Amino acid sequence: MKAPAFLRGLVPVGWHEFYVNLRSVRMLIMIIVLALIMVGGAYGIGRGSSAGGPSIAPLVAWVHPAIGTSGEHIAVAWVSDPFGVPLPGATVSFTDLSVQPPAPLGTTSADADGFARLAVGNRSSIGITVRTGNAESGSGVFFDRPVENFTVETRQEALDTDSVPNDLGVHVLGRAGVPVAARLWLNDTYVKDVDSRGYGRLELPLGPSNVTIEVAGENQTRAVFTSKPLPSPFFTIGPDFVLLIMAAGFATFVIPIFAVVVTFDAISKERVQGTLDLLLSRPASRVGTLLGKFLGTFAAVALPVTLVNLAGIAVLTAVSGKGPTGSFALAFLGLSLLLIAFYIPLQLIFSTLAKTSGTAILFGFLVWLAFNILYPVITFVLSSVLFPNSFQAQFQFSQVVGLGNPSSIYTQLVTFAAPEAIRFSFGGGSTLSLTAVASAALVWFVGMLALAMWTFQRKAAE
Amino acid sequence: MDGHFVPPDVIEVEGLVKVYGRKGGTRALNGVSFSVPKGDIFGFLGPNGAGKTTTIRILSTVLAPTGGTVRIAGHDVHEDPMAVKERIGVMPDEVSFYPTLTGLAHLQYYASFHGIPRAAAKRRAIDLLGQVGIGDVARKKVKTYSHGMKKRLALAQSLLHDPELLIMDEPASGLDPQGMRYFRDLIRFLNGKGKTVFLSSHLLSEVEQLCEHVGIIDRGRIVAADSIANLSSKMSAGAPIILRVTAEGITDEAIASVTSISGVTGATRTANGLDVTVQSGTDVGPDVSKALVLAGARLKELKTSERSLEDLFFALTKGGRV
Ligand SMILES: Nc1ncnc2c1ncn2[C@@H]1O[C@H](COP(=O)(O)OP(=O)(O)O)[C@@H](O)[C@H]1O
Ligand SMILES: [Mg+2]
Repeated sequence: MKAPAFLRGLVPVGWHEFYVNLRSVRMLIMIIVLALIMVGGAYGIGRGSSAGGPSIAPLVAWVHPAIGTSGEHIAVAWVSDPFGVPLPGATVSFTDLSVQPPAPLGTTSADADGFARLAVGNRSSIGITVRTGNAESGSGVFFDRPVENFTVETRQEALDTDSVPNDLGVHVLGRAGVPVAARLWLNDTYVKDVDSRGYGRLELPLGPSNVTIEVAGENQTRAVFTSKPLPSPFFTIGPDFVLLIMAAGFATFVIPIFAVVVTFDAISKERVQGTLDLLLSRPASRVGTLLGKFLGTFAAVALPVTLVNLAGIAVLTAVSGKGPTGSFALAFLGLSLLLIAFYIPLQLIFSTLAKTSGTAILFGFLVWLAFNILYPVITFVLSSVLFPNSFQAQFQFSQVVGLGNPSSIYTQLVTFAAPEAIRFSFGGGSTLSLTAVASAALVWFVGMLALAMWTFQRKAAE
Repeated sequence: MDGHFVPPDVIEVEGLVKVYGRKGGTRALNGVSFSVPKGDIFGFLGPNGAGKTTTIRILSTVLAPTGGTVRIAGHDVHEDPMAVKERIGVMPDEVSFYPTLTGLAHLQYYASFHGIPRAAAKRRAIDLLGQVGIGDVARKKVKTYSHGMKKRLALAQSLLHDPELLIMDEPASGLDPQGMRYFRDLIRFLNGKGKTVFLSSHLLSEVEQLCEHVGIIDRGRIVAADSIANLSSKMSAGAPIILRVTAEGITDEAIASVTSISGVTGATRTANGLDVTVQSGTDVGPDVSKALVLAGARLKELKTSERSLEDLFFALTKGGRV
């Protein structure tokens, strides 16, 4: 297998570059720094946001009054998760609420179907607390009225992703405190039967509805109301939002640093340590050699960055209990690679021109500074001078000018990839079309790579 | 030579010019031309800064010339660099390697450019490292190598692909006498196996011992290019001879009478006697002693000093003329 002449040297140089860089000390340092920022950030912000965001109780106690064979009162609790799956083994405590102070009556574990029952004689107010892990939920059972032939507990919540509280959980038990066959009707239309544990769930339409529970020909009807979803807040805190902060905030800064640190001396180091002449005298074309340098360093940076990003997403998923939108997560992984690919050719150009390690370091630092600090600051100052009265115009100006800045192109692409609901929350929402920004990305990458080849061809040996 | 087979030239350099940097930068080479026949050991001799390394970097396709042409085994370095690269083995002046790779890893890396399959490359690399005498450190990182070991590694890498032309920039620099001798023997051995060797040096002694032909470069120009034998005989042919006279009591009359001898072109006093410059091809020794004794000097010794190649080298590279 022989590469075409103009690409000769690509494979040897690429592998060498990949191998040498992966084993370097600075690689180790950068991986640690990146992991601290990305994974640590995912953990910190992910936790914070999941605490502040809307949440549903992880367990539910469905409680019923029941009457035993000799007429004694029985307090019944069925313990499930919010979706009606029983939680066997949950700790259930009963308390007599009719005395002061309330007196504990006993603690048991929910059985295999999630039930716990306690005969309480003729006591009439019983508190029930259920517990799994460190989640806790409580409710009360009252015998102040005669117990009907069947008892019903309902709970209206937003259980799916539409954030509308239109999911109605229904739990039905017979007078003896055990499940009975029950049919559920919604607005006079039969929907379904409850399951063997007495649970059934209905999805309600907006506005008022009647839910009818029918047991052995006898009906109970409940009036319920489903409100419109709350007008969506400015943004929704959740894993997607945290990922947006990670992508548009942290990654924009730290990934270019990673790329710069690994590649700033990719060529100047060979010159300084004296290995360049030997390399250039090998049967390799200049184009092949430079592309090898590019692909080798790119792979050496892309591999750890992708692994750390995946770890960040995993941690974020773990702490918020829910993963970010798949397509957004994928786009984040891909755009991180694009950001690396933006900075490496730039470094290769300066590395070709630098005669000493000192200049190479200086060039590397300046490149990062230029696009991450100077360029945005100058753009900001210019935009406020040029358009003092229009926020909209300033924004548009900074996005158009930003097309000359790889970091800004990356951020704009990230906001394109972000889910609609949070797109506007991070200075995002492009006034430009995706085609325009993507073309700028292509021009930037191809242009810089071509310039790197040209520079290397002309200046490598001088 | 008439009627004999004349081997083609492996290196043909014509009017080579190199200006470093932009116009008006250092003019390192100023119209260098020479050629090296196949099978030769060619010595490229010149003082520091003469342009040897610059020439070698152009020959090894590293550096693009500003003007002139270079052909190696008939291939132009500019038009067909790949053909040239495949035929040359280069030993640069500085022996520098990747500090964290082993000697073996270096050879395997370099072999991958030449399309040598992995297994074969490894065998060849281990073989070569043994041949140049660093087999025992093949798996040690290069940063632990001595200068001599690096020189040997540099030699090994230049031989990986069995090139027909070896280009060596100051192969003897920094070596101890044993190391120099080892390299000399190895270069002769390789030459015996049919390889053409082009080596640069700033030491005449080294070149004199090894090379058949030399090119002498000074300040970017070739000042002499010929076989060692021809250069030496040119010296003895036309060049004046100096008689070193050791004597006491040399009077001005004595000097006058010596200079009047036919064939003598000059006489200057020295610390312990007199240097007499004599046209070559004349034998005036007895006449000079006679004249000195007659003028009352106490003659102790009279020696003929032939000019050596060393003198020629110094004369040429210090702006002097033969
Ligand atoms: N990379 C370079 N840039 C500018 N000038 C150089 C460079 N390399 C060599 N020179 C100059 O070119 C001249 C010839 O140098 P060189 O070829 O290294 O001589 P030599 O090898 O005979 O000692 C010197 O004046 C040197 O300073
Ligand atoms: Mg030199």
